[in-house]
Amino acid sequence: MAAQPKPLPVHQPSYLEGGGVLGWLTTIDHKRVAVMYAVTALVFMALGGLEAMAIRAQLWSPDTHVLSAATYNAFFTMHGTTMIFLVVMPLLLGFMGNFLIPLQIGARDVAFPRLNALSFWMALIAGILLHLGWIRGGLPDAGWFGYANLTERYFSPGLALDWWVVGLLVSGTSTVLTGLNFFTTIIAMRAPGMTYMRMPMFIWSLLVTSILILIAFPPLTIGLIFLLFDRFFDTHFYIVSAGATPILWQHLFWLFGHPEVYIMALPAFGIISEVVPTHSRKPLFGYPMMAYSIVLIAFLSYGVWGHHMFATGMGPVADSAFAITSMLIAIPTGVKIFSWIGTIWGGSLRMTTAFYFALGMILEFTIGGLSGVMHASAPVDLQQTDSYFVVAHFHYVLFGGSMFAILSGFYYWWPKITGTMLSEKLGKWQFWLTIIGFNATFFPMHYLGMWGMPRRIYTYGADMGWTHLNQFETVGAFILGLGFLLMYINIFRSLAVGEKAPNDPWDGRSLEWSIPSPPPAYNFATIPQVRGRDAWWIIKYGRAGSRGVAAYMAAQASPSDQSFDAARIHMPAPSIFPLVMSLAIGLMGLGLIIDWYRIIVIGAVATILSIIGMSFEYPGFGEESHDPEHAPSAGGIDVRKIGVWSFIGSECVFFASLISTFIVYKSRSIGGPGPEILNIPLTSLSTFILLMSSLLMVLALAAAQRGDQRWEKIWLAGTISFGLIFLGGQVYEFTSFYNEGMGLTTNLFSQSFFVLVGFHGAHVAIGVLWLSVLLGAAMLGKLGKSRALSLELAGLYWHFVDVVWIVIFTLVYLMQTVKGA
Amino acid sequence: MSEISAAHDVHDPANQPGTTTYLIIAAFLLVLTAMEVTVFYVHALRPVLVPVLIVLSGAKFALVAMFYMHLKYDGWLLSGVFAFPLFIATILLLSLIGLFGYLAHHGAPNPELNAPRNASLSWKSLASTPAYRSASPR
Repeated sequence: MAAQPKPLPVHQPSYLEGGGVLGWLTTIDHKRVAVMYAVTALVFMALGGLEAMAIRAQLWSPDTHVLSAATYNAFFTMHGTTMIFLVVMPLLLGFMGNFLIPLQIGARDVAFPRLNALSFWMALIAGILLHLGWIRGGLPDAGWFGYANLTERYFSPGLALDWWVVGLLVSGTSTVLTGLNFFTTIIAMRAPGMTYMRMPMFIWSLLVTSILILIAFPPLTIGLIFLLFDRFFDTHFYIVSAGATPILWQHLFWLFGHPEVYIMALPAFGIISEVVPTHSRKPLFGYPMMAYSIVLIAFLSYGVWGHHMFATGMGPVADSAFAITSMLIAIPTGVKIFSWIGTIWGGSLRMTTAFYFALGMILEFTIGGLSGVMHASAPVDLQQTDSYFVVAHFHYVLFGGSMFAILSGFYYWWPKITGTMLSEKLGKWQFWLTIIGFNATFFPMHYLGMWGMPRRIYTYGADMGWTHLNQFETVGAFILGLGFLLMYINIFRSLAVGEKAPNDPWDGRSLEWSIPSPPPAYNFATIPQVRGRDAWWIIKYGRAGSRGVAAYMAAQASPSDQSFDAARIHMPAPSIFPLVMSLAIGLMGLGLIIDWYRIIVIGAVATILSIIGMSFEYPGFGEESHDPEHAPSAGGIDVRKIGVWSFIGSECVFFASLISTFIVYKSRSIGGPGPEILNIPLTSLSTFILLMSSLLMVLALAAAQRGDQRWEKIWLAGTISFGLIFLGGQVYEFTSFYNEGMGLTTNLFSQSFFVLVGFHGAHVAIGVLWLSVLLGAAMLGKLGKSRALSLELAGLYWHFVDVVWIVIFTLVYLMQTVKGA
Repeated sequence: MSEISAAHDVHDPANQPGTTTYLIIAAFLLVLTAMEVTVFYVHALRPVLVPVLIVLSGAKFALVAMFYMHLKYDGWLLSGVFAFPLFIATILLLSLIGLFGYLAHHGAPNPELNAPRNASLSWKSLASTPAYRSASPR
């Protein structure tokens, strides 16, 4: 342990201290939010782990009945859903991402702290919704991929799949908000001197992961919305007899699903890229190539979804294209393996539990990657699809890759997070049990798969020859479970009697090790000046030598100075609204599922009130005062503007998914009215109105920017009026279609039209509401020149709604005579 | 409000288009929309309807994004934040149309690939197990 900070004469209260229960319920501190993510994920991990062990117990021998067939289906569905959405992602992003992004980039919090708290509470509500089937309606049982049309109400009656659909919609929204928050934080809130090529690799991985989230989740959201409409409103987006194709679900799901693999893998790569250099006492080998390969992996990950669908018969051209992209993605992934090995090579190794797990990750992920390359070959994949070989592959990637990395990061950062050390002895026991149990469980699955054992079967015949390997795997699974039990014991032991952690127990390289363990609420007494990659290492051992540490510690130790007042550091105030709003959203979901519309209304009202309350809460409408030391570093662009733009980027993919479906389904529609019903003159007028509303919007903004409040209000009122006229036109259009016999469920054309145009209308309505709030503020004299940005943000959203309509008007209305796909 | 906040909230007027520009863009939008509708009603233009409409609506899209959303005047960062997802969205749109349209009709899969594989080995044996027989249907 080198260059430990001198003990501070004055106690700096850590983020864990004070506030009581209410303090935790209303917290928007990124560190507390991270801890709440961790606790939640660890509870769900225990649940998902028990489900896995029950699955393995059922497969212990042929023809056993530990679980019924139905329960087995429910358990493998919930195991997958839980581990992906409620354990791995929350641990990587909600827990480690949340805790470490501000600490590693030298910031005091994330860009949108209340949005961050909202993300957590929504994630928790999603987890609860997904598990309410234990109490009523049964657990979802269609697999974590929920293939259509198994998920339709005809094949899956009851509430089980309803919990799944609504739970995942809430979870997805929460994740997108997190992605937006992280992206903005990393782009705009890095400490002075921290250029992109000086960022810790974990931050690189999270930056790219955030982009993946923003672009990958909308197709899933659209797929789930279609399913929700099918189950609740009798549409038939996935019903073959209506001309629809269940393959649409597979495309939408895997458009999300494969980037999702990298959403779970890239942060894991980032963790290993932090642990390995620290424990090798060397800088990361090939840092630029590592960063570029992360970007390349993310880019290619959008073009490989089809390799999950080789068996659907996409045709040789599509199969070949997806095979090539899937093989290509192995190249940047391989770069990482060599980079880590190059870092370890010749290093002065410190063999801690964190490093053990990092080495384990490199080994196991390589095996998973190699079996993944096999799946890139369509002919080979056809032999492996739906067999246990695939189960082996993705567990080597997601457990061997992501979970080993999580465990490595967990042991690495635990001292910083809690201020106590975990037991290395217990940790190493856990490592050996985990790696032995893991390989015993999953390696034989390669053989079972190649021998023909299909996945998702709840039992097998004694004559299949699969018994011994299944028994071996079950023993392995229980060894694995024992390993995790040791982890929970280690956690409780550390919290109860753990040795106090120093600030920099591993001789770390990045900025989080420069501050106390656990950190104070404000993270850094003084925002650090970054002078190179491995910022803390440079301070400790760089050109300035020990003088650098002395100077840095003098700045960070300023709390000892009587003139220092922590209260002067501007930190965002706690808020109850994220919790209230999440509960309200949960109520709406609950009401929809149990068909109790009063609950939906209560939830909707509470949601709207929460949004309004939040708007006027902190620290006074339109007066967000950034700490001067927190000046945005992205060319002076306000974080809110970056946030709105990234939301708009995500919405591009959202509407592209809707428009694609409309075009695909237009020509598949059976019977009933078709595109000829569309009223071009009326819609042309509506288009004109909406375009002119954009003109009024920019005029309102220009008036606000020059301080002309009178014209600002007039143009703003005009924009709202034009928006309302557009909505009125849409209501008239929908009503006339209904009177002409075209309702939501009439045919594929009608349902894809109403959902697409209806969602656009909903966006316009939200815009009208947003602008109305701003008009109200303007009327109260609270929207002056200095707050023009608030108007600009709403304007950006409004113009985006406008450009979406430009596309819809052309593709849906004016191209009505063009045959669909 | 702190100085920093104010500094970032207020735009540099020199970096923004003026009212005249906004009005000119609105006129362009109006004309382009009129052209689109005209193209729709002129029967002779039907063969080139798709490319003409895509160009016209693309021009409208670009005008709103560049001038009303200020991408022309803001830094490259915001353009990138918008352009990259837009690129992915376009690829997604074209891919799905292609996968469901052209390839479905012109790239019929090799029938040999779709032949049942090991059907007699695995699934029949599975279906004959007592556990499978006793399992209740969904």
